Amino acid sequence: MGRPIKPPPRPAGTSRRGFFLKSGGAALAVAAAPLAVMAQRQDVGLPVFQHGVASGDPLSDRVILWTRVTTGQRSAVTVTCLIATDPGLTQVVQQGRVKTNPDRDFTVKLDAGRLQPGTTYYYRFSALGQQSPVGRTRTLRVGATARARLAVVSCSNHAFGLFNAYRRIAERADIDAVVHLGDYLYEYGPNVFGSLRTPEPPNEMVTLSDYRLRHAQYKRDADSIEMHRQHPLIAIWDDHETTNDSWRDGAENHTPGPLPPDGEGEGTWAERVNVGLQAYYEWMPVRIPDVSRRRENQRKFRFGDLLELVMLEERLQARSQQLTATVPTPFGNGFVQTGAFADASRQLLGTTQEVWLADTLRTTPARWKFLGQGVMFAQLKLQGAPLAQGGGVFLNTDQWDGYQPARNRVYDIFKGTSTQPAVNNCVVLTGDIHSSWASDLSQDPNNPNVATGGYNPATGEGSRAVEFVGTSVTSPGVSDPNGSNAALLRSINPHFKYIELNQRGYMLMDVTPQRVVGEWWYVDTVQSISNVQTFGVAFEVQIGTNRLQPSAQTTPPANPPALAP
Amino acid sequence: MHTYRAFPRCANAVAVAAAAAAFSLCASLPAVAANFTVSGQISFHNDVVMVDFRLAEAATNVRLWTDSWQGGLNFDPAAALWLAAGNDFSLLAEVDDDDTVAAGQGSFDTGFVLPTLAAGNYRVTLVAAFNAANGTLLSQGFSYGSETPILLTEWNQPSYDPNANDQKGGFWRLNLNGVDSVTVVPEPASALLLALGLMGLIGLTRTAGRHTAQPR
Repeated sequence: MGRPIKPPPRPAGTSRRGFFLKSGGAALAVAAAPLAVMAQRQDVGLPVFQHGVASGDPLSDRVILWTRVTTGQRSAVTVTCLIATDPGLTQVVQQGRVKTNPDRDFTVKLDAGRLQPGTTYYYRFSALGQQSPVGRTRTLRVGATARARLAVVSCSNHAFGLFNAYRRIAERADIDAVVHLGDYLYEYGPNVFGSLRTPEPPNEMVTLSDYRLRHAQYKRDADSIEMHRQHPLIAIWDDHETTNDSWRDGAENHTPGPLPPDGEGEGTWAERVNVGLQAYYEWMPVRIPDVSRRRENQRKFRFGDLLELVMLEERLQARSQQLTATVPTPFGNGFVQTGAFADASRQLLGTTQEVWLADTLRTTPARWKFLGQGVMFAQLKLQGAPLAQGGGVFLNTDQWDGYQPARNRVYDIFKGTSTQPAVNNCVVLTGDIHSSWASDLSQDPNNPNVATGGYNPATGEGSRAVEFVGTSVTSPGVSDPNGSNAALLRSINPHFKYIELNQRGYMLMDVTPQRVVGEWWYVDTVQSISNVQTFGVAFEVQIGTNRLQPSAQTTPPANPPALAP
Repeated sequence: MHTYRAFPRCANAVAVAAAAAAFSLCASLPAVAANFTVSGQISFHNDVVMVDFRLAEAATNVRLWTDSWQGGLNFDPAAALWLAAGNDFSLLAEVDDDDTVAAGQGSFDTGFVLPTLAAGNYRVTLVAAFNAANGTLLSQGFSYGSETPILLTEWNQPSYDPNANDQKGGFWRLNLNGVDSVTVVPEPASALLLALGLMGLIGLTRTAGRHTAQPR
């Protein structure tokens, strides 16, 4: 028999449908009257909200709210969500219902609209007789904006260590959002890339079930739960959300062929991307820009007139296959910018995204432009040389160095063209390489003659933008106990102002109209639970300069909104 | 005659007309328990489909269910079962999701299994969730009833999947097993339109008749 419900009380006052917006994906209800009680079976003993709550992709009037319902049944579940402006949830501004079912892996995602800009909200879900922890989120400001603060993370490998950095971020009430630059989770099986914790399932994630189970494991991590509960997330994927060194039509860690038991392969690449992204969109508090083009995940977020944060997609929609480095050096094989490396048809963003990026950067009224993206933008050489002498030998074919013509097209946006003005005050935020770097951005950093397009490392003259590369949450860096490797790399690459290869942690970006300060914060270990974090270093870029200079730790804003209880 | 003041819109007339056109049943079995399937199309988020059925005698194992959600291709339906009571109907049960009534249902489909059901005249209402009944009488309407209608194609139903942007279709289908007769009910507004249309036809016919009566 079905599950009859009692007739609901007649609503009084405001229409219950007030929360349904006609566009933009909002699906949360305003309910001045008590909601109809839809009787549902209760799962005794199962912690329904064991994956916590999360929010993400904040705009000035809306934010994604997320949770997941754990139920021992296959039936649809109705979930109630309440949004208030106080931690005690007494000042309720919206209340409504959504649903989930097995098709969505019982994840719950709603785009809560009709919110006020620059406002901190607290929210809670209820289902199957249980309540979720209280979450906290914040919408973006509009108009004149004096300050924004972002935590920036990447490369959070559950198997390799504990998410102490997430916990430190969760404890901070002084940030507006957390930016995750990719490698939110890793695909490997046990003991392949980290052995502190055993991945679930105990095999490389290949199927939809694998990807879902892995996401679920990451979302059950206590430190992850706390970070998600306290701050909205703005995330992009890098490669490991699907598999290592992915590109449009394949990946280093993908073996095409029939899946077991029909074969030894991992299916088609298209199917693997399909299931990987299905799980990603189910389990991440991310707004899908276009359901018909799920690989095109680039989005933008405007923090009033202060900051335009552009999040780029650099793996699945257009990236050409990585080339092979074949030039021997004392540090291993490198490559030079000739042959296929100079092929202008090779893509990293793809034409569609390049046009979108150019239009966004050229037209935004925001003072600062952040490019949140996955792989290092600055040149990283093993042997330095000016462009006129070939440019030297580069290290990593997977980062922008392996796509120099595509990078030049982004520089064209920065520098301007005969028909387009230059775009100044661009800041690139990067993850991927499990280490900390601060860099001026020049196309010819080993050419000291600024007049011929070079770069002056003493003054920063010739730099067109700056880059802050954040270290990993847990994934290992290069062992460099005395800093000799970093020193060597800096001697070859004069545009780097800071290189630190050993430590794990996060970045804190403090933005005002006058300057952007990037702070590196480090945890003492990822091998055990620890509350220790230390301030590492800070660099800043002043408005209009496009170059870095040393800075100091910023002072958090006074009286930030209370953390969720 | 009772009124349904919450739904006096032309949109419902369209929906009901479409439903009537799609009505397929074993019409030769008006007084014997039989199985029926009715279907149709709604357009707006607060449309209400009304289907009447009759039981001449008490019945067992009556089943009513939708199978039109189709994985999110169409809107997420909720159903209510009402018993005729004077000029109104009283609410017996309201169910949003139940996919256990029959094979072919999706998780957001709805339905009832009624082990015993007394003889009488019944009405099933289908709405887009969560357009819940306002009270125990059908005349009290539904919670979205006073709202400006929104096209389903432009509406994000609360249960929709933001990752799929689904549930934009207006197709509905209701299956009734073990009842005697089934009628898709035109709402007052559509009945009025139908009446006006008939009057118009009559008028045209009379005019035409006068014309033909005139000498050449």
